[in-house]
Amino acid sequence: MTVHKPSARRVGEFWGVPVTLALGAALIFAISFVVPTTWLFFLQKVLALGLFAVATNLLVGYGGMVSFGQAVFYGLGAYMIALGWQHYGAPFWLLLMLAPLLGALAALVIGALALRTREFYFALLTLAFSQLFYTIANKWYDFTNGANGVFGPMIPGAIAMPRPGLWFILAVTMLALLALWAITISPFGLTLRAIRENQQRVEAVGVNLYRHKLYAFVLSGAFCALAGALFVVHDQSAYPELLDWMQSGEPVLMALIGGLYHFLGPLVGAFIFVFAHDYLVAASSDTWQLILGLALVLIVLFAPNGVLGLWRQGGGGGLKGLLGRVFQGGTHERPDG
Amino acid sequence: MTSDILLTQILSGLTSASLLFLVATGLTLLFGALQIINIAHGSFYMLGAFILASMLGSSWAASLPMFWIALVVVPLVVAAVGVVMEVLVLRPLYGKEHLLQLLATFGLLYLCNGVALKIWGGEFRSVSIPAVLGGRFQFFGGTFPVYNLFIMGVAVTVGLFLWWLLQRTQLGWRIRAAVEDREMLAVAGVNVRMLFTGVFALGAVLAAIAGVVVGPIGSITTGLSTQILVEAFIVVVIGGLGSIPGAAVGAIIIGMAETAGVLWMPEFASAFIYVAMILVLALRPSGLMGAGIR
Repeated sequence: MTVHKPSARRVGEFWGVPVTLALGAALIFAISFVVPTTWLFFLQKVLALGLFAVATNLLVGYGGMVSFGQAVFYGLGAYMIALGWQHYGAPFWLLLMLAPLLGALAALVIGALALRTREFYFALLTLAFSQLFYTIANKWYDFTNGANGVFGPMIPGAIAMPRPGLWFILAVTMLALLALWAITISPFGLTLRAIRENQQRVEAVGVNLYRHKLYAFVLSGAFCALAGALFVVHDQSAYPELLDWMQSGEPVLMALIGGLYHFLGPLVGAFIFVFAHDYLVAASSDTWQLILGLALVLIVLFAPNGVLGLWRQGGGGGLKGLLGRVFQGGTHERPDG
Repeated sequence: MTSDILLTQILSGLTSASLLFLVATGLTLLFGALQIINIAHGSFYMLGAFILASMLGSSWAASLPMFWIALVVVPLVVAAVGVVMEVLVLRPLYGKEHLLQLLATFGLLYLCNGVALKIWGGEFRSVSIPAVLGGRFQFFGGTFPVYNLFIMGVAVTVGLFLWWLLQRTQLGWRIRAAVEDREMLAVAGVNVRMLFTGVFALGAVLAAIAGVVVGPIGSITTGLSTQILVEAFIVVVIGGLGSIPGAAVGAIIIGMAETAGVLWMPEFASAFIYVAMILVLALRPSGLMGAGIR
């Protein structure tokens, strides 16, 4: 078996990811007092999409299940906040709690069906679910407002301003990322990686494949929905495009750009993706697709482990060795890959 | 509902089934032989329609039967684009993870859209139906556009040609062998690399033909590539990945599901096809005629 329990004994490895997250959060908090408002909005978006990408990567990178339908849960989380506010006047805090539950429930139903199929069929079936939900959101005008989407003061005043909004998104994202980190290093997370490497072998040692995949799907769905709810805090609207298959593809692309086989890869990818998108779309919108396409092809061909994959583990002692181990703590790369 | 409305809708369902068949056969052929899902496949369709629009908009269009020239030339141009893509991007990725191949073709989709936006811009384009194929004909009390019949004719011709190619020629024998066991084929001395490039080009040709024939009845935008792609995926999955008869059956099912949607719930017509796919896969996880993933 190629998968082993990460050695928590060596300084750095176990604490690498939580410490990096804490330092990152402290940095964002500190600069939130000095940077212009556009940066605050940019960071809000990066955090929401970053959580979406890390949650998606639980399936794609860790579990080897290529889902093109995670936007279903992302969009459901967003619509939960927006429609709960519009139709029922429900308090935001309650809706925020319910969003991950709705995501988990939807993932349970979709996953139970989609996981009966494998590989390409799974990817395409999840894609079809994404399009189905998109169509419903787009056409069910009476309930969802159709293509116009839902917008309005659905966010409590305390977090509707850019800076407190960023703090709120930052806090929730960090808690969610720590929970996801704990999941990935738990025995369940290790089993998931083993399933990615060799399904037959894992099954032979008595693991119920279907059930483990379904758990992963449900967990991913819950966190994707939470990310969608956070996106509403950022955008203060929900619209059908949050659910379509191109949106479903984006977190997978972010994970690829940052590194599929590092816990923090999708977060780094989200930063690069949103930065490049906002910068290039401001310049000219057709250039964005051209550059993104070219970048994706080049990454797949020459740096398939993404930006973080370019940074190989440094050996030895001292600061370099410590940094190397800190970095190593987040990787879940195939030993032979 | 009168019967001629029903007939008109069925005929338009068969028209979209024909277009879907042309795009989906290429997809399913690529999957069967190369084991890849080409997300950029819809781009060949889009490029076909755009190049047609450019050719019909050129100054020679008045003196030459440009539509018919386009029907021959455009697929060849798009095939060349396909060959470049295959050699530069996909060839290094055979035998690697499926995820990487999938994401590479996702990148190619964005790249093609970006290039098309640079060349043709973001506005809608439309071209007219060639005069010979204009007009309508009478059928059981209703009148139908002749052009729709032409599209079906093209699909049937291509279907028969593919049957002949795959069943009656040595090239077809090799392609079918690649679907079964490509290592064995390579051992038998066949240049599998060239064969794959050829199959990829063939897929591009089929999608480009669909793009040319859809040009006169659709609005030509970069949105074409993703719109047809999702439907073609569904066709291929319903029929079973790698099966050409499956693609034909899947195309007809989707064409009819759309027709049923338009007749009964126009608002949610497009939801019908997703539900059709989910139902088929719930009952048969490898599609109607698929052999399953080995």
